[in-house]
Amino acid sequence: MTERWSEAAELVAIAVGDRAETWDRTGRIPLETLRELGTKGVLCAQIPQEYGGLGLSSLDNGELTAATGARCSSLRSVLTSQGMAAWTIMRLGSAAQRRTHLAALTGGSLAGVAFSEPQAGSDLSAMSTRISEDGSGLRIDGRKVWITVGAYADLLVVFGRFGDDAAAVLVPTDAPGVRIERVADPLGCRAAGHADVHLDGVRLPRDAVLGGAAMPLGLIATTALTYGRVSVAWGCVGILRSCLAEAARHASSRAQGGAMLSSHQLVRRHLAELTVAEQAATRLCEHVSRCWDARTSDLVMAAVLAKHFAATRAAEGASAAVQVLASAGSRDGHPVARAYRDAKLMELIEGSNEMSQLMLADHALAAWS
Amino acid sequence: MSSSTTNQHILSPGSICGKLTAFLERQTKRDIEPDLDIFAAGLVSSLFALELVVHIESTFDVAIGGPDLRLDNFRTVDRMTELVLRLRGESDD
Repeated sequence: MTERWSEAAELVAIAVGDRAETWDRTGRIPLETLRELGTKGVLCAQIPQEYGGLGLSSLDNGELTAATGARCSSLRSVLTSQGMAAWTIMRLGSAAQRRTHLAALTGGSLAGVAFSEPQAGSDLSAMSTRISEDGSGLRIDGRKVWITVGAYADLLVVFGRFGDDAAAVLVPTDAPGVRIERVADPLGCRAAGHADVHLDGVRLPRDAVLGGAAMPLGLIATTALTYGRVSVAWGCVGILRSCLAEAARHASSRAQGGAMLSSHQLVRRHLAELTVAEQAATRLCEHVSRCWDARTSDLVMAAVLAKHFAATRAAEGASAAVQVLASAGSRDGHPVARAYRDAKLMELIEGSNEMSQLMLADHALAAWS
Repeated sequence: MSSSTTNQHILSPGSICGKLTAFLERQTKRDIEPDLDIFAAGLVSSLFALELVVHIESTFDVAIGGPDLRLDNFRTVDRMTELVLRLRGESDD
């Protein structure tokens, strides 16, 4: 098992090479690079081998995700989105839907998951995208915003209202009525292909609905988001590892005022806190992945907790790393400059800090009041 | 996800119902009658709905496929018991 994740991490290392800075500055990862990683199963590595995936455990996929996040958070975001799309198909889809679409997602097709709308971000209950019956088929109308991988995607898992409940529907991006509009100059994860998606009278066959039936919105959204939270949390571990390495290397190689930076106590404090953050975030991620692999229901809250901790510590840690590197790290494209911008976005997605805090507080109150 | 369904031992409807009730009472801290609509009673948050699905799957060694994730299958302890019995029966063939 360990060999398979480290082989996958090696494929990522080769694909990224020294190009993360260029991808960040141009806002693009070459499509052929993404497709090649996709055909090797790296982008959704938890999908079982019977569907063409690598069949990694959550724990091994987490280490792969952290290794990717340490090199390039844009590519790591692609892993998160493709993995979340694949997991949603795995979890909600019928046997036939799994066979068809998971083969595509491990065969070079790229996919994103579309939740957010102009009026429904943190509050998904305000979602207004409509999936309606239309003769023997379906019709989709709505608008989704800030969809990661949207600009690269062949397929989108779109969440919307269906019947008196909700559903997730598979929308090919080349279907008539689908228009993809790239988000110009995102703050972070600049090459992750964020896009707004317009869905105007998109007609699809009936079997585009995952599982073929209306399901509770909260349940299906939480199903997809829980995968996303675990993945983002591991990605933040990667950000912390990169920041710790950059800060420690710089502090031990640069002299200031006749002494190495690493001899200054205030600099050493940054290194100590980065170490604590990286280790503690790793332990929380390992815990949620073990819950996932053992299928214990604790995984749902553990995912919120790990994501919240890892994202807030990554944002603090990246800020500290920029502080230690100072002018050496203060230009676009530098690993700590990217980390600083990328980590801030991690405090917003898959449940903002505030939404995570509300869920954690609900949990505490339910347990103790 | 689950090719490891080894349902050798038989679980009676009563014991499935009892285990589900115990889990729900522990999580919600109130008495749960087998025919109480836990969704209508406001006892199920989005997070808890997924916890419930994962708990049922691991406790009774079943895989709840997409088409079965309908609200109707989870409304009451009775409905969930029926779902578990059906899924355990299906995986025997």
